[in-house]
Amino acid sequence: MKILIVEDDAETAAYIARGLREAGHLADIAPDGQDGLFLGTTGRYEVMVVDRMLPKLDGLSLVRALRAAGVTTPALFLTARAGVGDRVEGLEAGGDDYLGKPFAFAELMARLNALARRPPPRAAEPTLLRVGDLEMDLIRRTVARGGRRIELQPREFRLLEYLMRRAGEVVTRTMLLEGVWDFHFDPKTSVVETHVSRLRAKIDRDFAQPLLHTVRGAGYVVRADPGPESE
Amino acid sequence: MSAEAPRLGFLRTTAFRVTLLHLALTLLGTLALAAVVWWATVGYATRQAAQGIERDTAVLLQAGALSGLAGVRLSVEARLAADRSGLDHYLLAAPDGTRLAGNLASAPREPGWRSLGLERRGAEGAAPAPLMALATRLPGGAVLVVARDLSPVAQLEERLLAAAGWVGGAALLLGLLGGLVVGRGVARRAAVMGAALDRVQAGDLGRRLSVAGSDEFDRLAERINATLDRLESAMAALRQVTDDIAHDLRTPLSRLRQRLEGATRSGASAETWRAEAAVAIAECDAILDLFAALLRIAQVESGAGLRQGFGRFDLSAVAESVTEAYAPLAEERDQRLVATVPPGVAGFGDRSLVAQMLANLLENAVRHGRAGGCVALALRSGPPGGGPEVTVEDDGPGIPAAERERVFGRFVRLDAARATPGSGLGLALVRAVAGLHGASVALEDARPGLPAPGLRVVVRFPPAAPA
Repeated sequence: MKILIVEDDAETAAYIARGLREAGHLADIAPDGQDGLFLGTTGRYEVMVVDRMLPKLDGLSLVRALRAAGVTTPALFLTARAGVGDRVEGLEAGGDDYLGKPFAFAELMARLNALARRPPPRAAEPTLLRVGDLEMDLIRRTVARGGRRIELQPREFRLLEYLMRRAGEVVTRTMLLEGVWDFHFDPKTSVVETHVSRLRAKIDRDFAQPLLHTVRGAGYVVRADPGPESE
Repeated sequence: MSAEAPRLGFLRTTAFRVTLLHLALTLLGTLALAAVVWWATVGYATRQAAQGIERDTAVLLQAGALSGLAGVRLSVEARLAADRSGLDHYLLAAPDGTRLAGNLASAPREPGWRSLGLERRGAEGAAPAPLMALATRLPGGAVLVVARDLSPVAQLEERLLAAAGWVGGAALLLGLLGGLVVGRGVARRAAVMGAALDRVQAGDLGRRLSVAGSDEFDRLAERINATLDRLESAMAALRQVTDDIAHDLRTPLSRLRQRLEGATRSGASAETWRAEAAVAIAECDAILDLFAALLRIAQVESGAGLRQGFGRFDLSAVAESVTEAYAPLAEERDQRLVATVPPGVAGFGDRSLVAQMLANLLENAVRHGRAGGCVALALRSGPPGGGPEVTVEDDGPGIPAAERERVFGRFVRLDAARATPGSGLGLALVRAVAGLHGASVALEDARPGLPAPGLRVVVRFPPAAPA
């Protein structure tokens, strides 16, 4: 995919661009807010990474200007300003995700993937999620695999729903903490790992083909075919 | 600086301006008083005289109407004979100006009010006596003049003016003196305070203003002292934090450096390099976490912009998910984690920060509680009129009463806790978040009297603001 990086620190920008290119993506770098606005309005990008503190035009104003101009390209704020209120401010300005510096590259990659594949906002909400022979009925709140009903705790249900909505995408531990537990801090416990392993026991143990995979150094992914990254 | 500077400086002080204002007001007050007195005395006497003249003229005109010019003449003569004060003066003149009766030498030809001067007999050279006169033309062309000598009124006026001058002068002098005295006193006290503040500014942060009594200057001094106290303790805290950060970051940073240096020295394989880099990244992350925690505490303590984002949230749900988050950690330590969370208890504030506060409390409880023991979290909706209450308790060594205040500081780790992992920032954030929400945090023994009394932390929230 084509990614726009608006970042004034040349080293950080080059580091992100190199990582994205190694992963097979195209990356352009805008060194300040004005260039970012110019490139952003061309509409050539599927997702953009925006630093909050930029010369000429700061990141918040940049994204606000793009949204005002009708550009809906998903934007991820990448910033050293990851305070309590800053995240909300970024999302209110029209950003779609927020990642504090420093960050692990795998975290950034996973979030960019999630943003780029986000369904258009007006698409009808699915009522049934399916990955391989695993089915989740969002109305009746039931899960079945190969026609066999699987009983899940409410939290396990939310965890599986989060993963199935992003089937095929790597989801990081932090994304799960934010999306499933609503924790915007790291509780420094293995709560994610514990729930994932319980969930895996319920949906994969009795079946030949595993669906919930661990991606080393990055996170988890739900998919039917065993990908090259999975262990 | 010239020797004039302080004196000229005084002209620019508030004290001097107050003195000037005071003088101007005194002057104005004296003038107003003099004007009122003048109106009430001289004015009154003059009006009385005018009324007397009008009455006399009316009576004489009536006499004229009844018995002609002769009647008027008789009446005038009778009046002059009866007047003992010597202040009444009359003149009845024929149309050709000849005096028919009266004691005035000549008459004004035109009718109406006049001010005349009367030469006094036997007092040559003295100022003529002031007369107030009313001339009236009688039928037939004769002229009647009725006049009063206003000398007594003029004397009264003179005395009044003199008195007003003396009183005004004295008031001005006293006002000036008083203003100078008060002004100099104010200026001196301001100078003393200024000098003390100069020393504070020069770095003597322990310096305080002297407070002698309880006037407004003393109260001001007290408030300045309180501000200085606050500043001093804030400076001390800042210095403490800086020292702590320097110390607490140096340790992991030097460990990181040693590790990287060691890796460089050895002719290590790519595999070892990768492993070393992974450990180095983990250590960097730990240092960055420490920074993030410090920044967050500072931000929450300053409260900047956070209260606007306050809202109602499901405190029960927060308590449940936090408890769930720590279940795996408790399991690792063979602890029972007991949560008593009634559904639907509402909280008010920043949901995310409250979640982190509860997480820090539970993390402490699980870490310091006895392995194989029990950790409990309880949520209560609180008494009527009060807010919700969260209690977290463990069965660990507890915190001695004398240390309970200290543990809320940054990087404070009790000796007993040195062996367990932790940054020493957990309770500092708990206190900061509680402070932001107006909640109190109390530490007590969970099981008083036992050798391991455990720790019970009680967080009492204020009643939620109306939705």
